[in-house]
Amino acid sequence: MHGDPLYLEPGLEPPLSSLLESPAFLHTLVDALGSPLNVLLPDRIAENIERFRSVLRRHRLAGQVFFAHKANGSSALVRRLAATDAAVDVASLGELQHALGSGFTPDRIVATGPKDPQFRWLAVLTGVTVSADGQGELEDIATLVRKHALPRVRVLLRLSDFGASGIKVLSRQSRFGTSVRGLDRLLDAVERLRDAVEPTGVAYHLDTTSLDEKALALEGCLHAMNELRRRGFEPRAIDTGGGYGVNYLAHGAQWDRYTTELALAVLGRRPPLTWGGHGYGLHAANGTLRGALSLYPAHRPVAGPAYLDTLLSTPAPSLGRPLGTLLLENLYDLYIEPGRALADQCGLSLARVQEVRGTESGDHHLIRLGMTASDVSLEEHGVLMDPLLLPRDGAPPEPGGPVGVYLTGSLCLEADLITRRMVHLPRLPRPGDLLAFANTAGYCMDFNATRAQRQPLARTVAVHRDAGTWQWRLDDEYWPINCHGGHEQ
Amino acid sequence: MRYDSITDAIGNTPLIRIDPAVHGLRNIDLYAKLEMLNPFGSVKDRAAWNMARPGLPGARERGETLVELSSGNTAKALAVIAGMHDLSFKSVTNRMRVPEIKELLLLLGAEIEELPGRTECLDPTDTDDPLTRFHQELTRPGSAHLHTDQYFNALNTEAHETGTGPEILADLDGRAPDWFIACVGTAGSSTGVARVLRDHDPAVRVVGLVGQKSDFIPGIRNTDEVHEVGLFDPATYDTIEPVGSGEAIDGMLTLVRRCGILAGPTGGAAYFGTVRHLRPLDTELTGRKTAVFIVCDRMESYLSYVRDRRPELLGRPPLMNSVATLTDAEVRAADIIDTADAQKWIAAERPLVIDLRSPFAYAALHIEGSVNIVDELFDELLRGGLPFSKRQPVLLACPVGEKSARYAALLTRMGHPDVRSLAGGIIAWRDAGATLVRD
Repeated sequence: MHGDPLYLEPGLEPPLSSLLESPAFLHTLVDALGSPLNVLLPDRIAENIERFRSVLRRHRLAGQVFFAHKANGSSALVRRLAATDAAVDVASLGELQHALGSGFTPDRIVATGPKDPQFRWLAVLTGVTVSADGQGELEDIATLVRKHALPRVRVLLRLSDFGASGIKVLSRQSRFGTSVRGLDRLLDAVERLRDAVEPTGVAYHLDTTSLDEKALALEGCLHAMNELRRRGFEPRAIDTGGGYGVNYLAHGAQWDRYTTELALAVLGRRPPLTWGGHGYGLHAANGTLRGALSLYPAHRPVAGPAYLDTLLSTPAPSLGRPLGTLLLENLYDLYIEPGRALADQCGLSLARVQEVRGTESGDHHLIRLGMTASDVSLEEHGVLMDPLLLPRDGAPPEPGGPVGVYLTGSLCLEADLITRRMVHLPRLPRPGDLLAFANTAGYCMDFNATRAQRQPLARTVAVHRDAGTWQWRLDDEYWPINCHGGHEQ
Repeated sequence: MRYDSITDAIGNTPLIRIDPAVHGLRNIDLYAKLEMLNPFGSVKDRAAWNMARPGLPGARERGETLVELSSGNTAKALAVIAGMHDLSFKSVTNRMRVPEIKELLLLLGAEIEELPGRTECLDPTDTDDPLTRFHQELTRPGSAHLHTDQYFNALNTEAHETGTGPEILADLDGRAPDWFIACVGTAGSSTGVARVLRDHDPAVRVVGLVGQKSDFIPGIRNTDEVHEVGLFDPATYDTIEPVGSGEAIDGMLTLVRRCGILAGPTGGAAYFGTVRHLRPLDTELTGRKTAVFIVCDRMESYLSYVRDRRPELLGRPPLMNSVATLTDAEVRAADIIDTADAQKWIAAERPLVIDLRSPFAYAALHIEGSVNIVDELFDELLRGGLPFSKRQPVLLACPVGEKSARYAALLTRMGHPDVRSLAGGIIAWRDAGATLVRD
């Protein structure tokens, strides 16, 4: 290892922080249920809902918080949410069935994303709100409603491609939604189909961290709502989608230092920090850094509820007043669909250390884990965060200080690297130790998991603390009837 | 001095000695090179003119658009130059961070294109960043663009090698200063000047100043971003030191308030970084030495930059008749009226109904017969006194009844005998099933 260790320590809040202070409990779980293992803290997601709600309250806005189910497939989180006043955003037949089966009533479900006929049928039949991608989908819904004499379906019209005046703000291309330039034709269709669909509002989802693009889209939605009202509809809600983000790291200074060193490594001004000189999107050309860092901004001082607060306080690009004020005085409800931000601090992924191997050069070790890269898809999602080392109980610590290691997976495949970067650990792990990847519940737990080479998928358990001791249940066995609020009933 | 064109007035800027009583250095004469006095307002005038000039006749013939990646002074100078030569100019940027500059560019006739932000859900296969795509588009055959390429164009450095550098030597009676300090943006000015000074005297020491990471000083790059600059060569500088935005504003205040130099925050950063670097060296010195730093632009465009970071510098005394001066007790004592009673009151006494929401919201739906005065305007109106007769009853309405209660309290304090606030606002009115109309 060269120079001081470049740590990227995860930010930990209760109850995740106290769970990590109970290594014996976590070792017992992995002994019984195998490596890898996903551990969820369902009570925390209810707390996260409350944090978003408090931002809505501060802006005097009515509305709803929808959990984007795709961020985590577990039952425990969805069943726990069903016991709050929150709602859920489902993007497949399976997720819709899961939400209904977990206790969400149709008025607390919105169906989004690409829909196959089965998904559309169940959505229309149960009367959930449908976020409709365009005219074609509205017509498909109307056909079902008319043919089966069903009640009118509540729809949100998903819009995209919002233009700006004066300054051209380029936005990333989206596969979804109807361009606002085609709004008139879309609303003509809504009028023709008004016996079958009821437009309760409009929606957008932009995959960007940029507030300016979102402010532009939200203002575009205000104009679209006005157009709906002009045509005699009574729309109530604007759905601003997700993308509120998570602040993964405890220390901004570590992130700043790491990314500076990474750039220097790519320029060849310091020893490599990555497997095979991988640059995470950066490369060097004639001594100049080119490309863009293709990583999640792991240190984000303004994320989650605070990001929503900032968005609502941002002045609308042409109407001038803060967006939250405009929503309020136009009497609109605000729907939000956070995924990652609601799953923040809600779980961790555990893996057993299988093998520790030194290398010829001696500047790093290879640590093989009982998991594959797909089980904890931090690299896939560009989230750089150090795992925590949980030694086997009673074992004296390995002598020696900080080490640089690469974490490899259990597949017989060169590319199965759990980290393509050198991870700095305070000391060398030993076989049998656990590595805990904290805060993986949003997208980094089961989103990419595969059964390649017939390797088992991780089991998932839900845990809660009861009278000072940790209790656990298999995800399937979790219901919020006897294990929330921290005490048995 | 008489010129045929404003571009002839670029360069030959003064070198001003900073009063030792201000900087406190005992053995060093400190000079500021006032690049802010270039005709379009900044050091970038030199580079913009030098880069654009050779291509202008051809660009005009082919009807090309002048293009640059800039969110500041280079864009400003190029916009003026393009306008003078009947060309259009497009500025492409990763977000304009100073709103005044954005408006200034629009006023000068520039077109602004903002690149998209980063994705929230990372697509690792998308290694193509917006900037790479921008360059590909410009170099495509048939592209009608004249790209000045300030971060890579050697003509940028040349402007300072033939202009700024020799001017400094001449003004110091043919001697190079012992230190030269500059903020690093495109690295054009620091590289060009450093080259001339070193050729003259290899002993000159060059200090580059960059922004602290995760901080922002207009026009200069931070610790990491300098590596993305083609003209940047670490060997140009004996040392590179970071400056924070707070320090930049401190430096700016010293220049503005004590030296009569109306510099912007970047010039302030240069002054602050210079004095910080020289102070410990100064105490060791025995003979006289000289140092030169660059003041790159003016303060006027950065009021919002200062307001965001040091609001107290732009503070004003409290206003007359302001809701901000109301006590909680006054607000609680405001007369509020619920929807049902308000409907009866409107029918019986025809109070003036004032809707405090924005015109956009009012136009969509409002209480029939109401007048729209948006809260910001109403606020200004009240500073002058009561805008209606005391015999005219008034009902105030806002979205949820909070703002209207405050204004009702204020009007009561101003002596109005019958002003009421709609309880729960227009939302409660709607939820009670009362009629809202649009015209």
